[in-house]
Amino acid sequence: MFRYIYRKIRCSLLKNIEKRMHQDALAGKNNSEPIFPDLKRNLEAIKGILHNSSDVTIHEFNFGHDRRFKGAVIFINSMADKGEINKNILEPLMYGALLLKKDADIDFTDIDCVRKNLIPITDSRKVTLFNDLIECLLAGSTILLIDGSKEALVINSGKRESRAIDEPVTEVVVRGPREGFNENVNVSIALIRRKIKDPDLCVEKMIIGDKSKTDVYIVYIKSVADPKLIEEVRRRLNRIKIDAILESGYIEQFIEDSSYSIFPTVSNSEKPDRVAAKILEGRAAILVDGTPFALIVPMLFIESFQSSEDYYSRPFHASIMRIVRFLSYIISILGPAIYVALTVFHQEMIPTQLLISIAEGREKVPFPAILEAFLMMFTFDILREAGVRLPKSVGQTIGIVGAIVLGQASVEAGLISPIMVIVVSATAIASFTVPAQTDSGTILRYIYLVLAGLAGGFGVIMGLLVTLFHMASLRSFGVPYLWPVVPFDFSSLKDVFIRMPLWKLKKRTKVIVYDGSDSYKRNPG
Amino acid sequence: MGNKMNLPIMKLILWFFMLFTLSGCFGGREINDLEIVIGIGVDKNESAGNILLTAQIVKENETGGTGKDGGGEDKAFWNVNSTGNSIFEAVRQITHKTGNRLFISHNQAVIFGKDIASEGLEKYIDFFLRAHEMRPTALILIAEDRASDVMDAKPETKKFPAVNIEKLVESYAFTSHLYKVNMKDFASCMMSDTKAPMAPLVSVMQDKENKDIYVSGLAVFKKGRMVGKLNEDEVRGLLWVLGKVKSGVITVSSPNEQGSAVLEILSAKSKVTPELKDKRIVMHIKIKEESSLSEQTTTENLATDSAFERMQKASAEIIRQEILAAFDKSKELNADIFGFGEMLHKKYGNEWKALKDNWDDLYPSVELKIDVESKIIKTDLLKKPAWQSEGGK
Repeated sequence: MFRYIYRKIRCSLLKNIEKRMHQDALAGKNNSEPIFPDLKRNLEAIKGILHNSSDVTIHEFNFGHDRRFKGAVIFINSMADKGEINKNILEPLMYGALLLKKDADIDFTDIDCVRKNLIPITDSRKVTLFNDLIECLLAGSTILLIDGSKEALVINSGKRESRAIDEPVTEVVVRGPREGFNENVNVSIALIRRKIKDPDLCVEKMIIGDKSKTDVYIVYIKSVADPKLIEEVRRRLNRIKIDAILESGYIEQFIEDSSYSIFPTVSNSEKPDRVAAKILEGRAAILVDGTPFALIVPMLFIESFQSSEDYYSRPFHASIMRIVRFLSYIISILGPAIYVALTVFHQEMIPTQLLISIAEGREKVPFPAILEAFLMMFTFDILREAGVRLPKSVGQTIGIVGAIVLGQASVEAGLISPIMVIVVSATAIASFTVPAQTDSGTILRYIYLVLAGLAGGFGVIMGLLVTLFHMASLRSFGVPYLWPVVPFDFSSLKDVFIRMPLWKLKKRTKVIVYDGSDSYKRNPG
Repeated sequence: MGNKMNLPIMKLILWFFMLFTLSGCFGGREINDLEIVIGIGVDKNESAGNILLTAQIVKENETGGTGKDGGGEDKAFWNVNSTGNSIFEAVRQITHKTGNRLFISHNQAVIFGKDIASEGLEKYIDFFLRAHEMRPTALILIAEDRASDVMDAKPETKKFPAVNIEKLVESYAFTSHLYKVNMKDFASCMMSDTKAPMAPLVSVMQDKENKDIYVSGLAVFKKGRMVGKLNEDEVRGLLWVLGKVKSGVITVSSPNEQGSAVLEILSAKSKVTPELKDKRIVMHIKIKEESSLSEQTTTENLATDSAFERMQKASAEIIRQEILAAFDKSKELNADIFGFGEMLHKKYGNEWKALKDNWDDLYPSVELKIDVESKIIKTDLLKKPAWQSEGGK
């Protein structure tokens, strides 16, 4: 239906991207000059490139027995650990070298030699190009330049401020690990490594963002993940041309299959256990430096209804809670629509006593039901948005204003009927049971409400059909979004509407897992 | 390629166009604009040919729901009257008083006055079967006097007379003294060649200051006109044959004739087999009834085999008498209330063609062979009466 328009737009977008990539590739060439053997010249060049930025420290020093060698350390004040530079770079060079015999066979202009003999830091490497040098400098490393050498030593002495491992605010669990990822991507990877001690766990680094140069890692298990999936992830990540990646959401929007769909086709999580479980299923996780939210592809619609806690608690309660989630999702998107359709179009379908009480409640309400519903839903969305943005100390005020002023007073004033308040608040509460689909649910709720107001139950059914068609056509990295319901796979229903005991879930998710992998064991999540 | 791709878009546009234009229920109505009718009464107006329609409408502001100190004296309903030459005319005439069109989907009961019923219902029932808002499950009742009086009697525990009447009819199972008849049942009986339509009777009883509504007995129709009534026993006699008895009370005298034993009917089954031989029509009626001993007014121990035997015999005889009473009444009215005609039609399809035309003449000659099997299966919580007579064991 929309595919034609969609394809046209997509095609022109891709063309633009390709053109830009081509131009960028041409522009990128001129910067990569080699490092000069002359220290003075090098320092001038670096100052020039960094526009004499005030937080760049260039410290020149002489070393060697007769102080005939000249060197310089360059670092960014705010990012480098000065103590370490003093202790592990300057001290060994300036004093440590004196301990060597005068005629020792050390050529201090040879960077390799200096690194091997004098610098007691594990993480260091040589660079020969200015480009690389600047890149490392900006990433927080310390650069050691020695007069007469065509190479520079990059020493990773960066000390990074990092938050402690905290409990994630978005995915709270009653039972299960409470640790969450954090902004330092190395910490996040360590958390995954700690869950999966397998030699097949691969971590691939990429740098994305022309200005931000953000570290992006693809994490997957080589023996389980489909090589084609990993190749596709790499391809899509490589295609991103953007100035900065400030959050994984940037990447999500570039790599998702259907950018014009209201349904997310890339899932995210900030819990290492959840991400580990997904990786063990054959999915790929994309970790981005600077945000605790990891992306996971491919995503199935049913994943929105699966909580990691489902697998930690016993299957009976987990199954009931899953059914509760499905029902609440239906309530959250259809609640007000069905109420409006019934009260405006199909009054004969309401039991007599209920109709009479609804009529009582609406007796003073001056608005049509659809406007009433719209007002109430809109008010709720305002409250929610305000509640998120407000500082915690003022947050209580919103609760009081929301509950008393908008809830009770509007009913007493006869602006809203009490049943509408019940319907909208039930809808609002229900919408939070499925966090992954809260965004799409909010949009759908308004669409269905309008359809219900225009054409009653008929309109709602038509809207549902169109939504269903659309969802059935969605794919996430080649995997049908509604699988295993569309296309139907009975044997995979063990973990959809109910969760069977773990020992029954022997196979990994069929559509995701790589054919060649051993499919007998499964780690759901 | 461009032309090919345009087709789905055209289809889509057309589809959406159709979605919003062809939908039958496009016109919604807000609840505030509805006059919810929960009961309708139809009477004859004084001036000839005219109809007096009483619609019972829910008064939304007086139902005492939302925090108001619910007006005790005010009624929660509003009985609106209007007149007209036809029901539909009267229904539309009402908008002069209500301001809104009546919404009759939630109509619980249609009550026809006695004068209307004896004149003939076929003239008045058409609207109720034809109107798309009307439910075929709405009850039909006949008032012993005027329907508008029934609509006015405010019940003590319920807010609405019409809802109260519906409850009263629904509870027929406790006594089997009336039967629930809705519009659909009544109409299908009217369409039948032989079967006589029936509807429960409703009356107003003056009880001190208060007017109570009382539903009991059935009105019997023939060719659309009400020809007579069945009293409570006759109704149960009819229901025995139809197998519709759910429960009820049978009082038999106790074996020593000093008091009575009260039996409660627990279940009843019936089987009617028509037989046609030598132009004689015999209906074999077999009733199987089970009951429990619910009360006894004597001090003798009734929980003995011999006492049970006698009580079972006595109750079987009472059932038999009730059936005969109903049959006698139907012969008197010459109305086939049991539907014997249709039973014959089913079994003797060919012969029925000859019988059909003079069924009215044949009906009184139908013979009944009644076989009642009555059984008492329990004595509820007591095995023996609390006070036993000295002679008792």
